[in-house]
Amino acid sequence: MSPRGTTFASAREADAFMDEHQGLDVDALLPLPHPYDDWRDTAIRPLTEDQRGRYEAGPDGVSALRLPRPSGEDERSRAVAGFLAGLQKLLSAEDNWTFLQPLMLSLENCVQCHTCSDSCPIYTAAGRPEAYRPSFRPEVLRKIVDRYLKPGGSLFPGLRGLDVKVDWAQLVRLAELSYRCTLCRRCAQACPMGVDNALVTREIRKLFSQELGIHMPELHEAGTVKQLETGSSTGLNPAGLRDIVEFAEEDIAEKVGRAVKIPIDLAGAEYLVLHNAGEFLSWPENLQAFAIVLGEAGVSWTLSSELIGYDSVNYGLFYDDVQYARIAARHHAAGRKLGVKKLLIGECGHAHKAIMAVAERLVPAEARVPAESALVLLEDLLASGRVKVDPSRNDFPVTLHDPCNITRSLGIVRPQREVLRRVAPRFREMEPHGVDNFCCGGGSGFAVNSSLNFPDWRVRVAGRVKFRQILEAFAGEPAGGGKKYVCAPCSNCKGQIRDLLEYYQAGERAGIGYGGLVELVANAMVSVPEGFLAQ
Amino acid sequence: MGQGVLVAWVWLAAATFVAGCAWRAWRYRRAPVHLRWDLYPVAHEPAARRAYGGSRLEDPEYWTRGGRRSLAGELEAVLAEAVLFRGVWRNNRRVFWASLPFHWGLYLLVATSGLLAASSMLAASSWAIGLARLSGIAGGLLVAAGALGLLALRTADPGLKRYSSPLDRLNLGAFAAVGGLGAAVALRPGGMEAVSRAVGALLAFRSPEAPALVAAHMALAGLVLFYFPFTRMVHFFAKYFLYHDVRWDDRAVVAGSAMERRLRGALDFGISWSADHVGNGRTWREVAADGRAREERRQ
Repeated sequence: MSPRGTTFASAREADAFMDEHQGLDVDALLPLPHPYDDWRDTAIRPLTEDQRGRYEAGPDGVSALRLPRPSGEDERSRAVAGFLAGLQKLLSAEDNWTFLQPLMLSLENCVQCHTCSDSCPIYTAAGRPEAYRPSFRPEVLRKIVDRYLKPGGSLFPGLRGLDVKVDWAQLVRLAELSYRCTLCRRCAQACPMGVDNALVTREIRKLFSQELGIHMPELHEAGTVKQLETGSSTGLNPAGLRDIVEFAEEDIAEKVGRAVKIPIDLAGAEYLVLHNAGEFLSWPENLQAFAIVLGEAGVSWTLSSELIGYDSVNYGLFYDDVQYARIAARHHAAGRKLGVKKLLIGECGHAHKAIMAVAERLVPAEARVPAESALVLLEDLLASGRVKVDPSRNDFPVTLHDPCNITRSLGIVRPQREVLRRVAPRFREMEPHGVDNFCCGGGSGFAVNSSLNFPDWRVRVAGRVKFRQILEAFAGEPAGGGKKYVCAPCSNCKGQIRDLLEYYQAGERAGIGYGGLVELVANAMVSVPEGFLAQ
Repeated sequence: MGQGVLVAWVWLAAATFVAGCAWRAWRYRRAPVHLRWDLYPVAHEPAARRAYGGSRLEDPEYWTRGGRRSLAGELEAVLAEAVLFRGVWRNNRRVFWASLPFHWGLYLLVATSGLLAASSMLAASSWAIGLARLSGIAGGLLVAAGALGLLALRTADPGLKRYSSPLDRLNLGAFAAVGGLGAAVALRPGGMEAVSRAVGALLAFRSPEAPALVAAHMALAGLVLFYFPFTRMVHFFAKYFLYHDVRWDDRAVVAGSAMERRLRGALDFGISWSADHVGNGRTWREVAADGRAREERRQ
């Protein structure tokens, strides 16, 4: 999978390349350790003839965007003109004040030393194909800027390495390849210059979204648009929330033998707890465990039934500043309306970053509410003795997956470990971990994309290194014996790890399961009957 | 090249270098305050936290505690990168062995230039010339060796080759020539004395009447200086912004601060993105407020 030059010199060359490489060679994928010595991956399904007739695909034959094929030359030309117009806006102080400085710095100072390459789990897992190199996409954009936007750009293009052509095929490649990076920022961390190629990748996504209306449907139509329209990217409305809470309270009563209240719209509470609404539907035990822990500790807290106020998701963070700003403002507004002292961000990595850090410079002070991580509060409750635990309840091997947005992007590393040390006696780290962790492969919205052949790619390629890390963390434990627990304090990471464990049959082959952090706390609580996790 | 022309060329090159770098630094500095995009570890966190990449966000109600900043931590990180090339050492050992001598050689050549400028203005200048000879030889050889090493990598390594333009290779060749010529001049008996006199003449806007080798070295060094600000080599100062203004920029927004005023101003910027969901022709403040849900619009 290695085209000549950095940019596929011609559309014809790229098309020929795509025909030749329908799907990655799964035999080139990173090998897995014991007990997967004999593991054979199934191929990434090529798009069907019908799908190829309707949708464009990346140079790897994968489609993340379901980008419709244009109807004719006019449409292709309009897209090219729109892309170049959008590129100018991307470099303007008014249209892109949000990230202009980091973008300029990263565009103009990468020396292509490739120090970042091997830090990328997708590039290395796939056998180092050129199109996945973390500096490839940004370099294409740099060349386009130099060639098409800068004065004298067409002078001596061969000498200056500006062998780039902007046409429809180029746009498709750039758009699709911007969704072969999880924005985990390991490449930025490795860069001695401080260049952030993941940021440039996000800016490429943003250009396509804000100018051409090209986005991953799961992030836009089924993500931010749905959230702004209905209150949640899951489609959950306030009435649905109340039903879920009612059900959760009944479920908790059955599990712990007493009533535990989940407050909604409690004005003046100390905390407005913001959960990723995906938890309510896919992992309701997370909501329940939080309610049990906070209830026992006597914490004053509430959920909000305000639209968007009950879903911490903000997929705008991954692709679109406008959508991001709209949702960020609404999260803080929900807290202001209830008059709470703080927002408490549940186990959702990107929500941590979106609400605690990025929004700080976007939502004016008079509209903001201070935000704290639930991981920090859990540590505090355990350390202060407000929640009593018996760690022997969790007498099974536990390892921790670090969500990139919580560790590398926010520096919240210690609290979750302190919690695990108190409730999980057989906790062991993955290597590397903390701010050096590997992405689960579901970051930047990948975990919610289950269309066409993208999930095949996501579990085989994007999550490969993470799965290897999980196996290595449990090396030495009997493959089939007892349960092993991957603790992932992030909804999107949990979704990806669920899919990884399913594809690699890790439950059957290695006895590996997964879950959140607060569930381990609830399972260890002295006041909770044994077996919370098992129920 | 007549030596009167050499005077003009070196001054033009130096002025272009300074003005070009200043212009680029000014562009970075005047850019709007961006949204937070810090990356951990952040060097100014206290040492205990820096060790594992932690931040003040690990504290309950961190916003009430103020941020402690460790200048020593930043200095240590800057020196480790600029002098020891720690990141390249850890992540790209092959490039390290060429990049380190190249950059150390450049530092030495800059020091040599300073010593020569000093020697041209001092009455008793033999010590400065002696030091300049040593640093000139070492610096020139290191630059030449490093540049040739990088050139070899960019020619032989398939990955690096694909991303290297002919101009990139010419640039490395020019650096190798500047380093090689510099070392040759410094090694010649009386060579550094001749350079010292030439530098003195240049500083006084006089024709240097330098030997051919010295004149060639100055002309070539002038060429590199001339185009330097228009290349990615400006990373030598852009790194400051990349680290301090982005990677380590965890500043909180303080009420009434200049940063807050700039951010409020940015919300009034016009927005002209064309996608349907943006709705252009308005300000960021208006567009962000247009996040009303369907049920609210009905009311």
